[in-house]
Amino acid sequence: MRVVVAEDSVLLREGVVRLLQEAGMEVVGQAGDAEDLLRKVRAHKPDVALVDIRMPPTQTDEGLRAAATIRAEQPQTGVLVLSQYVEEAYALELLAENAEGVGYLLKDRVADVERFVDSVRRVGEGGSALDPEVVARLVGRRRREDPLSVLSPREREVLGHMAEGRSNHGIAEALVVTERAVEKHVTSIFTKLNLPPAEDDHRRVLAVLTYLRST
Amino acid sequence: MNQSGLRPALVAIGAFGALLASLAVVITLTSDHAEKRGVVAAISLAIMAAYIGTGLFAWSRRPHNRTGALMTAVGFAYFMCVLTASDQEVVFAIGVLLSSVFLVIALHMVLAFPTGRLATAGLRRLMATAYVAAVVMQLAWMLVTPDVCPDCTPRPPDNAFAIWDAPTASDVIMIAASAIAAALLAASATVLVRRWRAATRPGRRALGPVLFTGLALVATLSALLAVQAIDSSGAVVDVLSIPALLAFAALPYAFLAGLLRNRWSRAGAVGELVERLGAARARLTETLADAMGDPTLTLAYWLPQAQRFVDSSGRTMALPVETDPFRAATLVERDGERIGALVHDRSLCEEPELVSAVAAAAALAMANERLEAELRARLEDLSESRAKLVEASLAERQRLERDLHDGAQQRLVALSLQVHVARAKITSDPDAAAAILDRARDELRLALEELRELARGIHPAVLTDRGLGAAIAGLASRFPLPVQILTTPLARLPTAVEAAAYFVVSESLANIAKSAGASHATVRVARQNGMAVVEVHDDGCGGASMEHGSGLRGLADRLAGLDGRLEVVSPPGGGTTVRARIPCESS
Repeated sequence: MRVVVAEDSVLLREGVVRLLQEAGMEVVGQAGDAEDLLRKVRAHKPDVALVDIRMPPTQTDEGLRAAATIRAEQPQTGVLVLSQYVEEAYALELLAENAEGVGYLLKDRVADVERFVDSVRRVGEGGSALDPEVVARLVGRRRREDPLSVLSPREREVLGHMAEGRSNHGIAEALVVTERAVEKHVTSIFTKLNLPPAEDDHRRVLAVLTYLRST
Repeated sequence: MNQSGLRPALVAIGAFGALLASLAVVITLTSDHAEKRGVVAAISLAIMAAYIGTGLFAWSRRPHNRTGALMTAVGFAYFMCVLTASDQEVVFAIGVLLSSVFLVIALHMVLAFPTGRLATAGLRRLMATAYVAAVVMQLAWMLVTPDVCPDCTPRPPDNAFAIWDAPTASDVIMIAASAIAAALLAASATVLVRRWRAATRPGRRALGPVLFTGLALVATLSALLAVQAIDSSGAVVDVLSIPALLAFAALPYAFLAGLLRNRWSRAGAVGELVERLGAARARLTETLADAMGDPTLTLAYWLPQAQRFVDSSGRTMALPVETDPFRAATLVERDGERIGALVHDRSLCEEPELVSAVAAAAALAMANERLEAELRARLEDLSESRAKLVEASLAERQRLERDLHDGAQQRLVALSLQVHVARAKITSDPDAAAAILDRARDELRLALEELRELARGIHPAVLTDRGLGAAIAGLASRFPLPVQILTTPLARLPTAVEAAAYFVVSESLANIAKSAGASHATVRVARQNGMAVVEVHDDGCGGASMEHGSGLRGLADRLAGLDGRLEVVSPPGGGTTVRARIPCESS
């Protein structure tokens, strides 16, 4: 898997690069700002671009804007945005109407190497990776009349994993159950929440997120 | 006595006075021993009518001022003096006994001006001595003096009070009485002169007529006393007496004339005032000071929003209290709305018509000036809140330093120790080293979370990047209670306004979580008439106030820096609404 890493902190960038290389990925380019990133992505056409949300010159959201550009120009390149803060606004903007090949993670997640690498790989393969904290907030938000109350605790858990972008297989592994059991839960959730059926994992993410946002 | 009951009472007193005056004329004209009966009767009538008439007039105009009552009393007391013309022995004796009381009351009136009350204990002692001397010493003298007027022709009736004839005692008492009278007159003159010197300009104008007539009275009496001391022959006294009595009769008219002249000049002054106010608004205070004759006059402007008075330079000022002996305030109102107040010398309270006329004329000009005063007050507030902001930001830095030091820094120190220990054990006991590193990783995660929260508290990045809507949605999603966001502006607001609005919401939500006992909250941010209006409402127990929450106080200061206002509506049991209005004309 070929990766371009954009991060203005050299220390962190080196760390991430080493980590990815150790996981068997090929880091084809490193960038310190958004312009550099776009140039290298255009040149190398990587499977995935790892992008820090705040970069020079303005240190605000150029990472996010660069991500949008990449997605528009090269849909085959996945974009995983790393952020210092978890903000639903960023995540939802990033996903927009297409969760294919998109990820949004808290920067700290880098420390959990296995999950981080898994997320990079998933985004590189056209899947999605949404930070558990964003999902927790969307699922756990206090509502005056909580529509999620129709779900069983286990179904809530599964819903959370779906929103993060995991496949049935991934969910089964995380919950230590069979894939069949997960499938049953997913069907039940879609029925109870009256959601339109979705075949791909990333479509499923979008359906779930759209639902969570609107309630 | 109340106002409505006063008028009939005064009319009754006036009727009784008229009756006594007629009686006085009859007694004088029918007297066997009085000289120049016609002249004396006319003078008696003039004096009684003058004092009772002007006294009642003053009494009705200033019911709370005792001067009018004292003047009326002088008129009635003079009747006693008239009784000396009576041919009846006892009546004649009573007349002689009380013949000088009217003079003492007149002196009392002068010394008690302008309020009609003797202001100091010294004055009260002086007057008490005068009353006692006038009655008691006269009685003592009469007891030992069978013939009260040896040179009088025709002969007056015998002194009914005389019990023995003791010429020496009689002379001694007369000399003592004269000495006391001289001392009293000297003291009164001193008091009057001293008062004139101490008086302010408007005070002098009010005191003037009475002080001068008072001094004239004292001078006349002194002259009488002196003549009596040199030569007590009745003829000389009589000759001097008639002009003295005429002067005395003129005194209340002088007072009345002063009063009327005051009214006329007042009308003129106000007319001129209205003209000058239109021409020169800038010199409002001076103009009003001229009209009232009080150079110490200051103006207080009422700020209805802030509920306080400020002076013309915008500084908060307090009005003098009811009991202030020197200063008084008169409120200025226009169409029922309070504009401000005139703060003036207390002596002007004796001229309520003048003060209220000036206050009415000043209302329009003051309403205009108030705008300027309000502006200055706001500038004053602004510099105050700027100072507070500096203080607040200093306190905020200290808090940040503490949080960093106690939180993240401690954790990092602990981490560095754990890494050292793990490093030492990595070959000897790899399992222990792994366990330590696991703990270190958890610790690291906590340190990162703390740093993140801290940074968000300083300024949330999403606010800068995505504006209020996203930032408030973020707040709401982290909030432990349901938060309904009704509206947030689509367009971006000025950075400072957005930050202020954000902190209004975050501080209000924090308060709700802490104390309100609420089940949910609603947030509304809207742009209305050039203002950003931020409203956070909860359905909790209410009773919140700016005084109690230091957080709300800090918010108010922060908003004041932007010319914004914070209000807290929190009836007990009725939930709490925190509403901020922040001007934002341009974005």
